[in-house]
Amino acid sequence: MEREGVRMADEALFEFLHMEVISYIFKSLEKDDSDNGKCTAKLEGMGFRVGQGLVERFTRDIPRFKDELDIMKFVCKDFWAGIFKKQVDNLRTNHQGVYVLQDNRFRLLTQISAGKQYMEHAPKFLAFTCGLVRGALSNLGVNSIVTAEVSLLPACKFQVMMQRA
Amino acid sequence: MTVYNLYVFDRHGTCLYYGEWNRKNTTGISLKGEFKLMYGMLFSLKSFIKKLSPTDVKEGFLSYQTSKYKLHYYETPTGIKIVMNTDIAVGNVRDVLQRAYSTIYVDFVVRNPLCSLDEPIQSELFKQKIDAFVRGLPFFSARVT
Amino acid sequence: MLRTESTKINLMRPLGQPALACAGYRWRENYYSHQRRGGYNIGVRIIEDFLARTNVGRCHDFRETADVISKNAFKLYLGVTPTVTNWSPAGDEFSLQLDSNPLAEFVELPDNHTGLSYSSLLCGVLRGALEMVQMAVDVRIVQDTLQGDLQTELRLRFLRRIEESMPAGEE
Repeated sequence: MEREGVRMADEALFEFLHMEVISYIFKSLEKDDSDNGKCTAKLEGMGFRVGQGLVERFTRDIPRFKDELDIMKFVCKDFWAGIFKKQVDNLRTNHQGVYVLQDNRFRLLTQISAGKQYMEHAPKFLAFTCGLVRGALSNLGVNSIVTAEVSLLPACKFQVMMQRA
Repeated sequence: MTVYNLYVFDRHGTCLYYGEWNRKNTTGISLKGEFKLMYGMLFSLKSFIKKLSPTDVKEGFLSYQTSKYKLHYYETPTGIKIVMNTDIAVGNVRDVLQRAYSTIYVDFVVRNPLCSLDEPIQSELFKQKIDAFVRGLPFFSARVT
Repeated sequence: MLRTESTKINLMRPLGQPALACAGYRWRENYYSHQRRGGYNIGVRIIEDFLARTNVGRCHDFRETADVISKNAFKLYLGVTPTVTNWSPAGDEFSLQLDSNPLAEFVELPDNHTGLSYSSLLCGVLRGALEMVQMAVDVRIVQDTLQGDLQTELRLRFLRRIEESMPAGEE
């Protein structure tokens, strides 16, 4: 696939690699008898690092953002579409630094379940993406905490809480 | 026309999925025993057919038919085997079985990290999809004649 | 740990880097490193995706396999078509040469990881995928741009055909 003169790897690779990275992290830490929290933290950290890199690429030809909301809109549209091939379905904010991004068919969950089955496994498939968002925002100059919530797969909500200095 | 049942086997003979729709008859043996006999029969049939064939067979056998039912067979190069039993009025369904593999098995088992590839499929989503797929086939009919 | 030299990154590259970085030393210079095994697990699944999307049938011989890997698989997943070359006289061994390796394009190995076989993931993927189509194949990297070579070269050696085993309990 040629895009902007840069070769892009097929998206299925991202999916399979994401799958494998999760399985590796959980397997390698299981041996050390660690809790799941450590694994998700690690995945989140990896996502952060990737998010930082990706956002640089995605914002290359984009003019500076007006404000925080403008940044969030970018994350919901271009950033999301660049990675998950669709945009976030709904963005809400309390105008006090909390944003909720709702994706009704989150790409990394759509193959897993349409309902309650495998609910308990959902967190590990969201941790990396939480990190992605946090990493992207961080490189755009915004510190945040990103968490995810699922009540019925494959829909999920990411909550972004801006951290003001 | 109608569909009786459908089996998905992996390369080691494990029955990954079994579904039945308008099946009217049982073999009188346990399902587990039936899976084993079915796989054994396919295996023998396949290897003997290979021996009989005048030239190298690429696709193996496609179907066999009795006076009462027809067994359709599709095998991928990776050894996934999809078997569908229908009544004898149903024609060649190779493309149908191929579609079941590529749009359902691959999408909802291979691409589901929580499904192991060598154990019976637990995913409800897969089961829903395959059920809807079979019920949506032009030759599927629930009417019992 | 691993730096990217440019911001032109595709999804695979940055995802691979922290995966490497987090596993740290355990992955270094180890022939049977996790990355190989990790690649193997990807291969086992990606072959099904590949067959579903391309409708490629069973290959007649190793030469056909080489062609499919290069022209279909690499092309589909990484957007490049490696050159199939350096066949052994017996036809059981060949090389895939990549002028540019999409996995490593903007990667530079840090000083404390100079021996890291960064692209060995590809070896595992190929090994896993081929095993699923009944071919036991040894895959190794013989040239690596990250190690200062001019190109990346993977060497594939056919070991044996994996015969389908009789179902359990049959004679």
